[in-house]
Amino acid sequence: MKLTRFEDRWAEAAMGAIFPGSAESGLGDIRAMDVRRFLRQLMRSVPFQAALGLRAAVWVVALAPLFVLGRFATIVGLTVTDRERVVATLVVSKSYVVRSLILILKTMGALLYAGDGAVRARMLVPRPAKAGLVTLRVKRVQAA
Amino acid sequence: MSHDRQHDHDDHDDHAFPDEALPEGAVVDGAALARDVEESFDYVVVGSGAGGAVAAHTLAKAGFSVAMVEEGPWIRTRDFGESVYDAFRHMYRDAGTQVCEGRSYIPLIQGRCVGGSTVMNSAIAHRTPEDVLAEWHERFGLREHITVEALAPHFDALERELNVHAVADDVLGENNRLFLDEASAEGLPARKMHRYEKGCRGSGRCVTGCPNAAKQGMNVSYVPWALTLGARIFCSCRVERVLVEDGRATGVLAYTTSDEGDEESQARPTRTVRLHARRGVLVAASTIQTPNILRRSGIRARALGEHFQCHPGYGLGGVFDAPVEMSFGATQGAECTHLRRTERIKLETIAMAPELAAVRIPGIGRELMRNFGVFSNLAVWAVVIRAEAEGSVRPGWGGRDKVKLSLTTEDIRRARKGTAMLARMMFEAGAREVWPGIYGLPSVIRSIDDVKLIEEASLDSRMWSFITTHLFGAARMGVDPRTSVVGPDFQAHEARGLYVVDSSVFPTNLGVNPQHSIMGMSRLAATRIAEGATRRVSATSAA
Repeated sequence: MKLTRFEDRWAEAAMGAIFPGSAESGLGDIRAMDVRRFLRQLMRSVPFQAALGLRAAVWVVALAPLFVLGRFATIVGLTVTDRERVVATLVVSKSYVVRSLILILKTMGALLYAGDGAVRARMLVPRPAKAGLVTLRVKRVQAA
Repeated sequence: MSHDRQHDHDDHDDHAFPDEALPEGAVVDGAALARDVEESFDYVVVGSGAGGAVAAHTLAKAGFSVAMVEEGPWIRTRDFGESVYDAFRHMYRDAGTQVCEGRSYIPLIQGRCVGGSTVMNSAIAHRTPEDVLAEWHERFGLREHITVEALAPHFDALERELNVHAVADDVLGENNRLFLDEASAEGLPARKMHRYEKGCRGSGRCVTGCPNAAKQGMNVSYVPWALTLGARIFCSCRVERVLVEDGRATGVLAYTTSDEGDEESQARPTRTVRLHARRGVLVAASTIQTPNILRRSGIRARALGEHFQCHPGYGLGGVFDAPVEMSFGATQGAECTHLRRTERIKLETIAMAPELAAVRIPGIGRELMRNFGVFSNLAVWAVVIRAEAEGSVRPGWGGRDKVKLSLTTEDIRRARKGTAMLARMMFEAGAREVWPGIYGLPSVIRSIDDVKLIEEASLDSRMWSFITTHLFGAARMGVDPRTSVVGPDFQAHEARGLYVVDSSVFPTNLGVNPQHSIMGMSRLAATRIAEGATRRVSATSAA
């Protein structure tokens, strides 16, 4: 199974809403990481049922602006801020199926995003010096 | 898989890993076969994970000719990379997307490569708890067959051969150290985990395959050791069925498979691999695959595919003011089994790669990015429950497996109790925030007073995000053919010479990590099978 070109655009927009990057945290935008190629490869690797779930997730996000914002547009037609609003609403949806589908997108996106060398380098620090490590609250350690 | 190979293995360029320099002809790669294959052995073993590898080694050591058949490819130590995505595609069943279906979806993680799940687990060794064996004796009539005394010499041998010992201080890592310190401060009995390991460097990469071959997975231990003793392995070959003639297992029929992550390999034609077994077939394809292989082989026991059990786990993140840095240290190095019998829960640590932790990091968009920024200060601890729920394993779409299981309210209550305990421990240890990940609760709690929110959380499994790796039952052992699939001699009630030596025969779950029990039971089974065969040969010669 593979996504159509417009599904690719929806998926890219959805992933961009979840992993937009942050100048403050020094993290890049997932859309700079060839999301489409990743999704093509992913859809080939996973079983049919999982691929179907991913496709359903893309459709739910794509059409959600109508239900979440009352706007007759797909996710691609929104600003980045509104995309994020839509996905943030879906991920806490009362519907277990809807929020599970969004989690599929987050899970799959995380494989690409957090697997990126630059993102990993930002998330992981070199082995900390002994002095910099967490210490239990002094009072409790002494009591023990 | 090899993009960071040079970097990872610089220190090892001058010597071979145990999965290299194997006897010529010992490894048959189904993905590269140019023709169909038909060969004969004394025993054929289906699966090369904890159960299969140990059984194959035991039989080969007893002097029998043995073939192992493994559905997945053999990914060598030198090819293990850091990428979880690559590992999922090449080494995990269904590229890591397998789930238990029920009231909620529970991701179910299994290896699909030579070594099975031992390639990506945390190599934790626990003997089968005595109270569990007692339960098996009482409820399933295994009294004189599977005993502490019968298993003890096998556990001794496994622990010696795989170098089981407590995690060394220099590779403990902060996630584990913090858990142990806090448990100690609270007077909660906890310990460093005991693992199969030789020279762990704390790479924190158990889930993508140990880059140093320090973890003693089957891929670097019993599989190569069995090959050295003359066994052979057919990898990338999926067993369609065990051949049964006149009520006796006579071999297996397998087809070559492609690497699910490799397009070129998917384009190759499928070949047939027919392996005859003069003495018997041992199935160790795991709790999920074994029942369906037996079903395709004509076994019709009522208990087949029933009584599936697991150990669902729930992870909790805590953010500290100083680095925890889960990327260094034993992936899982500390645990508390004190509450296993009374509460059916086990508390433990689990270091997560960024790709896996990201799913549990709260938020979407900017909130998620902010939380990514504190990843190095994140600790993850988990509660594992000995769930009472029973499910089923049946054939699914396209030859895949369908697993159904719904946790009971009591299971969730136990998970909730353990999660609240961990949250409290984290705050006591100095966490500034805890990420419970329970639907309906704030995504971040910042005070120990708010742990009560977890204590009062919903008992609906749809509010929780469990994951499971420990699987049991579905071809369980017992004396009564109406309620079990195999007898206490590990032989299927319906077919002579067809043995099952993985955790699908376990009548119940354990409450501790199962690899050691799987290996111990498999070694016990294979030893008895070998002794029985030797006795028959001697009797025939004498006659």
